[in-house]
Amino acid sequence: MESDEGDEQQQEAERLPLSQRPEWSDVTPIPQDDGPNPVVPIAYKPEFSETMSYFRAVYYSDERSSRSFQLTKEAICLNPGNYTVWHFRRQIIETLHTDLQDELAFVGRIAKSNSKNYQHHRRWVAEKLGTGAVNKELQFTKKMLSLDAKNYHAWSYRQWVLQALGGWEDELDYCQILLGEDIFNNSAWNQRYFVVTRSPLLGGLIAMRDSEVNFTIEAILGNPENESPWRYLRGLYKDDTESWINDPRISSVCLKVLSTKSNYVFALSTLLDLICHGFRPSEEFREAINALNTPDSGPLDSDLGRAICRVLECVDPLRCNYWLWRKSKLPLTVSSQ
Amino acid sequence: MEPATENEWDRLSSSSSDGEEQAASDGSSSQFNRQQHVAFLMMMYESLPHHYQYQEINRITLAHFAISGLCLLGALDRVDKDAVSDWVLSLKAHPSNKADLTNGEFYGFHGSPSSQLHPDDNGVLMHNGSNLASTYCALAILKAVGYNFANIDSKSILTSMRNLQQHDGSFMPIHFGAEKDLRFVYCAAAICFLLEDWSGMDRERAKAYILNCQSYDGGFGLTPGSESHGGGTYCAVASLRLMGFIEDNVLSKNMSSSIIDLPLLLSWCLQRQAADGGFQGRANKPSDTCYAFWIGSVLRMLGGYNLIDKEALRGFLLTCQSQYGGFGKCPGDLPDLYHSFYGYTAFSLLEEPGLNPLCAELGMTEFSALGI
Repeated sequence: MESDEGDEQQQEAERLPLSQRPEWSDVTPIPQDDGPNPVVPIAYKPEFSETMSYFRAVYYSDERSSRSFQLTKEAICLNPGNYTVWHFRRQIIETLHTDLQDELAFVGRIAKSNSKNYQHHRRWVAEKLGTGAVNKELQFTKKMLSLDAKNYHAWSYRQWVLQALGGWEDELDYCQILLGEDIFNNSAWNQRYFVVTRSPLLGGLIAMRDSEVNFTIEAILGNPENESPWRYLRGLYKDDTESWINDPRISSVCLKVLSTKSNYVFALSTLLDLICHGFRPSEEFREAINALNTPDSGPLDSDLGRAICRVLECVDPLRCNYWLWRKSKLPLTVSSQ
Repeated sequence: MEPATENEWDRLSSSSSDGEEQAASDGSSSQFNRQQHVAFLMMMYESLPHHYQYQEINRITLAHFAISGLCLLGALDRVDKDAVSDWVLSLKAHPSNKADLTNGEFYGFHGSPSSQLHPDDNGVLMHNGSNLASTYCALAILKAVGYNFANIDSKSILTSMRNLQQHDGSFMPIHFGAEKDLRFVYCAAAICFLLEDWSGMDRERAKAYILNCQSYDGGFGLTPGSESHGGGTYCAVASLRLMGFIEDNVLSKNMSSSIIDLPLLLSWCLQRQAADGGFQGRANKPSDTCYAFWIGSVLRMLGGYNLIDKEALRGFLLTCQSQYGGFGKCPGDLPDLYHSFYGYTAFSLLEEPGLNPLCAELGMTEFSALGI
């Protein structure tokens, strides 16, 4: 019953109005009742109005037939955001037991041109197919992400597939590949965190932490201006600040970046956060900050935290008010070593 | 009001809220063009071009943008308020009897007449397409036009709303299932707040769900585990504020007692202001007009709005302003209703003269929220 690739485009070009199709001659379409004073009326195109009027007719009479099924396809192609159409289509599928694999293919085609509204329907079909669908669903989201590696809906669907149906085996590798293609892809970093913390096949965050820290530091050194790995690094120590300030690699990467004297904003803010949580910086840090020679630095503040804030006010001017505020919140301590 | 030709509509109006980039003349100027924006909204209010048919099921959302937008611009005198409230009320789903309220369905407002079929011969509403998002928009519009809320059947809304809350605290928007995420938790919280009655939801469970959505980087994703996102962060913080779990101006108080990681959230929000002055919705993504509201509001709600660079933001927003009125998603884009509304809210947060003050938690003017 279901059609092949490209059928939807063909339909658009050759569409015969429903009123002229013999198989629909017994149906009275139900026009939209906009009432006497409609607000924000839409100037619908005729084919849209007509399709929806016929849809309303079969929806109202709850006619779960193959012609209704075909009509939901036309309505979805015109208006994939209409969840009542998707819902009725599901009801028809349950009644007629139409092919679920064909359905996945159909949703896949809709998803390509409209990346937002297919999720719930796809999830429903996949649930019916069970764990057998896992490879297909991972493939599907992979395809969507190859079109847009940051597609929020595709990522959230992929996370659902992993948690509901499994398939974790290659996920860390997949994140690795995406990060290799674009180290700035924050969605891929987020997925990495998701896998590291939730995969039943890995040891959990603490077991994975060491290797993840090393990976992240490499990424930082490659592009210190990239916010994502800095956030990820902090995230690896979520709820464990003590370990975070005591891991010498953290402060060390800050120092390394500072020494290059370029792209050091995140290095500075991370150092500031470390200090605020009790990290006691050695003299090398002070020297590295001195060496930045930022304009308007004047004599460097004896309190390293304050000194860092002053530099940030200068080099991250968009957030100048924030750095001033951070400075005002610093505990009044004696100067650090 | 009829367009001269179909082509003129195509030229003047936008595509869907995804904001297709087209070769548009640079609409930027050094000023917020209030007059042009009012004209744009009135044009949309009177008739939306056919591109909007894709958002047909959520027409009430488009109505909210137009009407609440006019309210923000202080131009609501141009609409027939009674006609508006009549239209909104006509979209209410009515239970045929009391027992219906626990049958699993939600009896709120529909998004448009298209999904609203009349009850059958026995008066039973067989096809109930009413949902949380439309209900929030309906109430927002009714507030804007000053409708007396005592006349709303709150009980049917609140009692049946409980059917939509899930075990983990999240909400479905509609009884026959759909995505469950923070957007609908927000709608539920806003509805309870506007109806001044929290019996519609279990606040503690909702709070637990929200906390699970805070990402490792301080922002909130739309679901637990998903990437932190401006819209998700707004829904999380606004919901917690409305439910009373975050106090006023919390940044000036004891941050460590907060139920969320406040310093990390603050850092994440402020980092969303990009070099072009605009706000991005996620790290390493382009700036977009609407995040000036989503993220800006979070900062306002926490008491940290003054920490941003307002001049830089204003400069960015003006490059997204269309010479025909309205705002597009990115600089030079044609305007659409969604980005226009959020552009106006953003300018209200910036305290632009001529705009009414905004209630960040509710996404409407302070006056509407207070019932003035």
